[in-house]
Amino acid sequence: MIRVKNVRKVYPNGFVALDGIDLHISRNEFVYLVGQSGAGKSTLLNMLYKAETPTSGDIYIDNISLSGLAPKQVPYLRRSIGVIFQDYKLLPRRTVYENVAFALRVMHFSRFRIRRQVAQVLELVGLQQKMHNYPSELSGGEQQRICIARAIVNNPPVLLADEPTGSLDPDTSWEIMQLLSKINARQTTVIVATHNKAIVDDIRKRVVAVENGRIIRDEQLGLYNP
Amino acid sequence: MIRDFLFFTSEALISIRRSGIMMIISIATITVSLIVFGIFLLISANISNLTNYFSSKLEIRVYLKDSTKQDEIDALKLRFEAMPAVRKVEFIEKAAAWAEFKKNYPKIELSTLVSDNPLPNAFRIGLSDSAKITSIATHLKGFEAVEDVGDMGAIADRITAFSRYTRIAGIILVSLLTFATLLIIVNTIRLTVIARQDEITIMQLVGATISFIRWPFIIEGLLIGIIGGVFAIVFLVFGYSFFVMRFQENIPFFPLVYDHMTLNLIYLGILLVGTSLGIFGAYLSVSRTVKNNY
Repeated sequence: MIRVKNVRKVYPNGFVALDGIDLHISRNEFVYLVGQSGAGKSTLLNMLYKAETPTSGDIYIDNISLSGLAPKQVPYLRRSIGVIFQDYKLLPRRTVYENVAFALRVMHFSRFRIRRQVAQVLELVGLQQKMHNYPSELSGGEQQRICIARAIVNNPPVLLADEPTGSLDPDTSWEIMQLLSKINARQTTVIVATHNKAIVDDIRKRVVAVENGRIIRDEQLGLYNP
Repeated sequence: MIRDFLFFTSEALISIRRSGIMMIISIATITVSLIVFGIFLLISANISNLTNYFSSKLEIRVYLKDSTKQDEIDALKLRFEAMPAVRKVEFIEKAAAWAEFKKNYPKIELSTLVSDNPLPNAFRIGLSDSAKITSIATHLKGFEAVEDVGDMGAIADRITAFSRYTRIAGIILVSLLTFATLLIIVNTIRLTVIARQDEITIMQLVGATISFIRWPFIIEGLLIGIIGGVFAIVFLVFGYSFFVMRFQENIPFFPLVYDHMTLNLIYLGILLVGTSLGIFGAYLSVSRTVKNNY
């Protein structure tokens, strides 16, 4: 479903973020991208939804080449990929409900479908009681749940997570990862960039280790360290 | 389509309502700059009105020889009326002129000075183009029946020069001020867009198309422009009528602009400038912000 082919990324300042990346991820897989900060995990993740473009090489999602995608088509690519972030990226002046509904309104869903799907997803992430609160009134873990709800509310086939537990305590991190596993079980491909060793070693999945812009290890049910 | 429009409008209203102080500041900035713009339009309308007023008061007096007969006078009147740049020709009979003179200066004992009416028959010629006054006066002097021509050539030349310079200065200043207003409004809108950079990024992230992102901002720019424009107009309407009232009390004969046609045109202009710059500013800022992200 996702194929990364010989991707290289050089930033304008000459820094080589990624080099010779080849990666294949099948439908409904759960993959950890691990490595230190600056190893290139985020760059790789950003390329999957075309927030960044490779300097050379190409990425295919369902056999569609991202480098051949016109700017006008990018919004439609992004509708099939949910993304969640370490800093949540929520709209502070909108309620939980509005934040999640926002994604569906952008996709021209009807009012009726928006109400139904937002209610369903808020129940899935366990926030139906707080849908009229503003993000600032919620804890970090709860804000991350809103972010997840927004990312999956339209049932995209792919979910990308960039350090989803980066600003959370261990217990909350564990809950968030359980939630991601649950989403993976609903037929969603999940890719998580993380340097949370405890989580990776505890919830065992495929591990792709990145170091200095290269993939140094790729194993099923791997550990954070070899 | 209608659903989208309603959504965009509600987004714009939500954002205006929730951005509070930011919105108040931008509306105030736009109001103030439109007021300055409007004051200048009023001043320049008044100056041009003033020069027109003085131009219309310019006239040439043609004094006729006493020997001129009535049929010659009638013929002259027709010829004068046919001349280019002549607006109206009025014949002043010597007896009427004498009577008016005596009425205007009752204190002078004229009968002791002159026995008979010393004034000649005359024409009063009003012009439509004050710049031509000197050349027409010279031309009139050439007529056989004409004794003398009194023109206001020196004053006319000055008024013509004055109106030309004020018109040029007015055009330059209005253009500069329009440009300044444009910069202020576009930048103000830009600030409101930049303040919501995160929102734009998130919209792009969840798959919003460029036009979908742009519309709420354009409607917001339009609303801010309209609100700022209306405030500026309300201020100018009250301010200007107050000014006219006070001015007329003190200098009643001064020709101020207060016909509704001209004023409404100025106010409409301010509203149009406000709204179009609001839209333009929003369009420009959103496009620039959005481009970095695809």
